[in-house]
Amino acid sequence: MNSFDIELVSVSKSFAGIPVVQDLNLQIPRGEFVSILGPSGCGKTTTLNMIAGFNTPSAGDVRVRGKSQNRIPPERRNLGLVFQNYALFPHMTVIENVGFGLRMRGTPKAEIGQAVDAALRSVRLDGFGSRYPKALSGGQQQRVALARAIAPRPSVLLLDEPLSNLDLKLREAMRIELKEIQEQLDMTFVYVTHDQEEAMAMSDRIVVMWQGAIAQQGEPASIYRNPATRFVADFVGRSNILSVRRSIPGPTVLELCIDGTQIVLRSDCAGNSAVQSCCIRPESIALLNGSDAGAGGQNRLDGVVRRIVNLGAHVELLVEVANGLSLTVLVPSSRSSLVPELASTVTLGIDPQDVQVLSD
Amino acid sequence: MNRVLTCAFWLAIALVLTFITLPLAVVVAASLSPSSAVTFLPWEWTFDWYGDLLADRWLQPFLLSVKIATVVAGISGVLGVLAAYAVVYERIPGSTAIMAGLLSPLSVPQIVKGVAIVLFLSIIGLQGVLGTPALIAAHVVLALPFVTRMAATSLANFDGNLDRAAQSLGATKRQRLQHIVLPMIKPGVLSGVTFAFIISFNNIPLSVFLVRPGDTTLPIAVINYLEYSLDPVMAAVNVASMIFILAVIFLFEKIGGFSAQLHGGSK
Repeated sequence: MNSFDIELVSVSKSFAGIPVVQDLNLQIPRGEFVSILGPSGCGKTTTLNMIAGFNTPSAGDVRVRGKSQNRIPPERRNLGLVFQNYALFPHMTVIENVGFGLRMRGTPKAEIGQAVDAALRSVRLDGFGSRYPKALSGGQQQRVALARAIAPRPSVLLLDEPLSNLDLKLREAMRIELKEIQEQLDMTFVYVTHDQEEAMAMSDRIVVMWQGAIAQQGEPASIYRNPATRFVADFVGRSNILSVRRSIPGPTVLELCIDGTQIVLRSDCAGNSAVQSCCIRPESIALLNGSDAGAGGQNRLDGVVRRIVNLGAHVELLVEVANGLSLTVLVPSSRSSLVPELASTVTLGIDPQDVQVLSD
Repeated sequence: MNRVLTCAFWLAIALVLTFITLPLAVVVAASLSPSSAVTFLPWEWTFDWYGDLLADRWLQPFLLSVKIATVVAGISGVLGVLAAYAVVYERIPGSTAIMAGLLSPLSVPQIVKGVAIVLFLSIIGLQGVLGTPALIAAHVVLALPFVTRMAATSLANFDGNLDRAAQSLGATKRQRLQHIVLPMIKPGVLSGVTFAFIISFNNIPLSVFLVRPGDTTLPIAVINYLEYSLDPVMAAVNVASMIFILAVIFLFEKIGGFSAQLHGGSK
């Protein structure tokens, strides 16, 4: 028995000859919270629409619980859908909205009532049932949309940027709530977003898409720690991305000669002589005191502080380590006593394990 | 400066409203005059003339007009919604051409259309349908562009995500039409249907060619009467039909027509 809820097998889609999704292979296990993350135009919404059935793949196969869906219309796929603009039915009350799916299936009235109550309870909106959507705030409307989608107990819930229309505070609160609801229902969630923080906060697995293909997939932490490509390093989190002129594989470390400078960085990554670029996360760069030798084997770079920006929780430094090469360094505010003066010279320490080799 | 503009604005509105309503006021006043000559601002008032309205001479045309207008509103409502649905929602091939064809009656003068319909019916040997069937058909042609246009506009403003949401919830095409699409476009359709009713009820230029002698619609009966006499009965007929039209508009508004549309959808 196949335990994947959704499988995309070599799926491609083009509109008027322009390819939007190309040869996509994706397997989503049952009960997992998967985010499809990417910039606008990367094909993530098209992918979601192919799973939902609103777009037909030009090639390849979409399978739900092992069954090909290519000939099954959206209304028979038993998938829940939550939209960015909520798409609540304005002429129906909250109860009528949430009960709509079950009503269309001819479920007995008493059962609908129970399911609606349960759905509204799980999104913490009990007591709002007789209101019309217009009388609700944006956050409440999105909860109703969520309740409406889960009330018929679909096998999978598809969410298309559902939090993008909410303000920041509410968005952050809803992230946690969404994750809790997903765990409580033990339902597979496929969540499309361009917001990497959102994806990081909720997902069991993130699928980063770029130019119609999967750039990288994996657990949030591993994507953040080990971005595979230049695009992922740049899109997910902040990075110092450095071009590599030459790389020399050694017995334990890889030596990377940074383009345009005399700098040689040691990296723990496996790699060959074809490495083109590497990345270093700003928060993994340490400020070393003169006396502090740093751990053995650490990369040490001297540089001049060119800019200091206070970000509240962090202080961001721009340190020029060579002509034309500056690194961004993040220092937690709690350690702001370490922050040097503008134009002073500092020593930066970078662990070889934090120098990540990228492919293009 | 601003105040001058504001005053000018309200003055313009007052003038327009006066211009629109004053003639109607004259008719209302005339219908209440005890003298058999039509006068404005009579010094005495009477409702006697309204008694004549119940005579067959007026009652029969009125009932015929109501019957025709009701059927026309119904038929053009159904056809208009179906046409708009096919063209805007389903985007069937040739949508633009079909829409242009449906709206084309607007560009032909009604007199020309009336003559054309009579000639056409006699050429194909169907003079027999003159009277109610021909009136209904001709009025539907006349009213259809309004209903279609209004339904099409409502459908064009319809949020496709609502439809997709309903679809993902398992609603079939028929269920979506019934529970989502039609309720959402109802205000627009009702406005169109109200127009259709009024257009049919008030029509003269087409009807004049198509009525059977002795079995006319109300406006034609009024025209015929005016050829020989101008008296307060005339004014009373017009006031009564004005009140009737207002009542029709009010009724449709109650069901959820114009004002719902003005305030951006239902609820």
